[in-house]
Amino acid sequence: MSDLVQVNNLCVDYITFGGRVRAVDDVSFSIKKGEILGLAGESGCGKSTIAFALMRLHRPPALISEGEILFDGKDILDFSDEELRKFRWADTSMVFQSAMSCLNPVKTIESQFYDIFEAHNVVSTKEEGAERAKELLQIVDIPPERLYDYPHQFSGGMRQRVVIAMALALKPKLLIMDEPTTALDVVVQREILQKVYELKEEFGFSVLFITHDLSLMVEFCDRIGIMYSGKLVEVAPSKEILGKPQHPYSFGLGNSFPTLHGELQEMIGIPGSPLDLNHVPDGCRFAERCFNASEQCRTDEPQLRNDEARGWVACHHPLAIDFRELQDAPCSELN
Amino acid sequence: MRYIFTRLGFYFLAFLFAVTINFFLPRMMPGDPISSFLGRLAQSGGQITPETIAALEALYGYSTSVPLWQQFIGYLQSIMVGEWGVSTRFFQPVIEVLGRGTQWTLLLVGGYLLISYTLTTFLGIYVAWKRGTWADSLITVGSVVISSIPAVVMALLLYFAFASNLGWFPTGYAYDPALDPAYTWEFVSSVLYHLALPMIAMVLLGMGNVMGMRSNMINQLGEDFIVMGWAKGVRDRKVMFSYGARNAILPMITSFAMSVGAIFGGSLIIEIIFNYPGLGQVMFQAMLARDYPLIQGYLLMMTIMVLSANFIADMLLFALDPRLRTALD
Amino acid sequence: MKFLKSLKAMFLSNPKASVGASMVLIIFVLCFGAPLFTDYEPNARIARPHQAPSADHIVGTTRMGRDVLSQTLYGGRTSIMVGFVAGGFVMLMAMVVGISAGYFGGWVDNILSFFTNMVMVIPSLPLMLVLAAFLDQVSPFVIAVIIGATSWPWGARVIRAQTLSIRNRDFIHAAEVMGERKRRMLFFEVMPNMMSILASCLIGTIIYAIMTEATLGFIGLGDPLSVTWGVMLYNAQQTSAIRIGAWWEILAPSVMLASLAIGLALINFSIDEVSNPKLRAQRIMAKFRREQKVEAKKKAAAIRNAGSEPMEAKA
Repeated sequence: MSDLVQVNNLCVDYITFGGRVRAVDDVSFSIKKGEILGLAGESGCGKSTIAFALMRLHRPPALISEGEILFDGKDILDFSDEELRKFRWADTSMVFQSAMSCLNPVKTIESQFYDIFEAHNVVSTKEEGAERAKELLQIVDIPPERLYDYPHQFSGGMRQRVVIAMALALKPKLLIMDEPTTALDVVVQREILQKVYELKEEFGFSVLFITHDLSLMVEFCDRIGIMYSGKLVEVAPSKEILGKPQHPYSFGLGNSFPTLHGELQEMIGIPGSPLDLNHVPDGCRFAERCFNASEQCRTDEPQLRNDEARGWVACHHPLAIDFRELQDAPCSELN
Repeated sequence: MRYIFTRLGFYFLAFLFAVTINFFLPRMMPGDPISSFLGRLAQSGGQITPETIAALEALYGYSTSVPLWQQFIGYLQSIMVGEWGVSTRFFQPVIEVLGRGTQWTLLLVGGYLLISYTLTTFLGIYVAWKRGTWADSLITVGSVVISSIPAVVMALLLYFAFASNLGWFPTGYAYDPALDPAYTWEFVSSVLYHLALPMIAMVLLGMGNVMGMRSNMINQLGEDFIVMGWAKGVRDRKVMFSYGARNAILPMITSFAMSVGAIFGGSLIIEIIFNYPGLGQVMFQAMLARDYPLIQGYLLMMTIMVLSANFIADMLLFALDPRLRTALD
Repeated sequence: MKFLKSLKAMFLSNPKASVGASMVLIIFVLCFGAPLFTDYEPNARIARPHQAPSADHIVGTTRMGRDVLSQTLYGGRTSIMVGFVAGGFVMLMAMVVGISAGYFGGWVDNILSFFTNMVMVIPSLPLMLVLAAFLDQVSPFVIAVIIGATSWPWGARVIRAQTLSIRNRDFIHAAEVMGERKRRMLFFEVMPNMMSILASCLIGTIIYAIMTEATLGFIGLGDPLSVTWGVMLYNAQQTSAIRIGAWWEILAPSVMLASLAIGLALINFSIDEVSNPKLRAQRIMAKFRREQKVEAKKKAAAIRNAGSEPMEAKA
């Protein structure tokens, strides 16, 4: 599989009265065609900022200060306003965190669909737009006659499916999902992810999936990147990230969630709280909270490197535990 | 539909409230209201004729033999059928005197609403879009400064400079008295010419709405559906109007309803200073002559106009906000 | 006090606030220190009528031969007092009605809100005119009371909305669960969180009251023997000051009225900017735009360099 998106050394700064705060620091990763990549991390770690930056939708006072975002080989940071406008939704679309508030409350679903078609010149009449919108609604199991309703007339789960239908309207190559299910209950959550998975299989787009729910992510994604305080600290196939975490933070994050399958285990959280981005230390950002930190970790910042044997991890002392081998051992022996 | 009826019911109660004030105020004054009126009238140099006394008695239904609640019912009845008493200054039915002024006030206030709300809405949208630029600072600070000038001061200064001193605008009347009212270009242009300076004063005083629209618009621009609009590739102009402004005008309509009383209050001062023959001018003359029936009639007329404006605002909201409309189904 | 600290920071960092505060301060000093700036009594006939400004009478004299400057300064005292008394009265009414409605909710809220809306749709200026007309002789203090009695609904509504939103925050629920008494909570939990909205409401009503006093005075409802800016304008209008070109008689009180109102409005505008988080966030926009330009320039330079490098490589 070849790369659809290649992000190189991306830095995003927030302008504040006290100076710039770097919310995303030197992040590189790629998304292959047809792949589902997950980004996980605590809130405020920069994962949503990356999602918005991929469509250059980051709102002021956020500013992309360095790096490149190659989409099919073209750097979208070089796009003119008009090129950017045409790129948005046609090539990359997005399902927002808050289905409740991302639909315009005073316009019907029909006219919000039509806005998409009109902006990208794909239909010539309103009727044609309505026809296509109805087909899309059917894909996400919403009765087509609801097309002429207003957003407030839908339930939360239905609204999220409407947004997904809109996201697929132009058959984009990449679908970004920014915590799409946090506001929904667990049953609806699964239904929606299942639907997206089926659609992905059918249409063959790539997905960037962002959440802080690691167990959900492991089931849904092909590969997972773990972020901490604006840095990408580990990228690995999703089966490995819980089973064979190498970065102590990934290890801690994996232990912070109950597994859906398997026996009851003791949950171990991560001590301390996320880093204050106004005061970034010299060494590893996670050193303060890390059970495995050494003197080197406090002075020398580890870089994300691809190790033949280990894969991508940014740590001086990667862990070497494999849960999959230890599956039968009691939990307490792990520490 | 229930929404509309609830509002109508509320307006009816509010009107009753104003009528009640009018009914009880003279009775709360010490002594017999009619003779105390006559005393005041004599004091302020008003003429006391038998008509005056008859008008007062007819208006207040005052009588010691009838219980208060019957007097109140009688008063209500006469108000409802348009018998608002007789002006002691003009010796004409109050409703006729008020009617003459109402047309000019409606012209002034209606024109003001049209011009001012169009102008300030667009300016507000523009500066919210361009927030943080020098144009934003200039327009916002400018509109705060201009709109906080008291109406009396604004009107006096404009009148002194442009009507009295420079003579660019007329110093009074709604149209050239030499012309006969008719739908001719000559007459209409004369009306517009006489309307211009009072209108400019009112529009300047109403510039504060720019701030209201600006902050509504800024609030809307932070909403997720705006970001989604951009994400969809919708053109900036369309996001600005169809996504941002379309939602930002809804609170503007509510604030219009809240401020319409103050707008009519402002027109009163403007009309007095520019000698514009609207309701304000009528009121001023009534005040000078202590023409109580006319003063009370003015309060009722103003209440009716404010309530109508509120009802129009309700209907507008009803039409523009689907959440309100479809909640009824 | 956190509120006082942020107030101080606001005046120091925000030019609009400091300009506004200086304007208000200057007017206060001029009016309340009037004997320092003028030797004349405000109501004494000290010169020939309608004298143009001269060294003796800096802003001329009135039709009655009174000194306009001393009238303006002494009159300002009354006007400002009326503004503050009426403003205080309005605030009191608005706070009692607004906070009780928002805090207690239920039928208390229903009744108070209904009453508030009712008074709000009765146009306040005509109502004031009717009241003043029946009371006939109205001293400045009575005018202040009339303004207070008719103008509180707007503030009550704003305060009610704010109380409601604070009341539903977690820390209030927490205090309630911990068994704090309702009255104590009102004063120690709800009120401190409303300081900025109360301050801006108070300033708003003071502006409104000063303007309204001028309006009522101008229409001729003020006591003609008292001296206020409104009564000065009334006298000027009645003696045809405009027609005979005695501009100083109009200009002096007008400038004072306008400056005071503008000064207070600028302070109010700055309070809004500081206390409304969405507007506050916008203040960063100016800085953001500068930084954005820097980035754009850097990028343009990088592209130029990138463009020239291959040429050098060829060479």
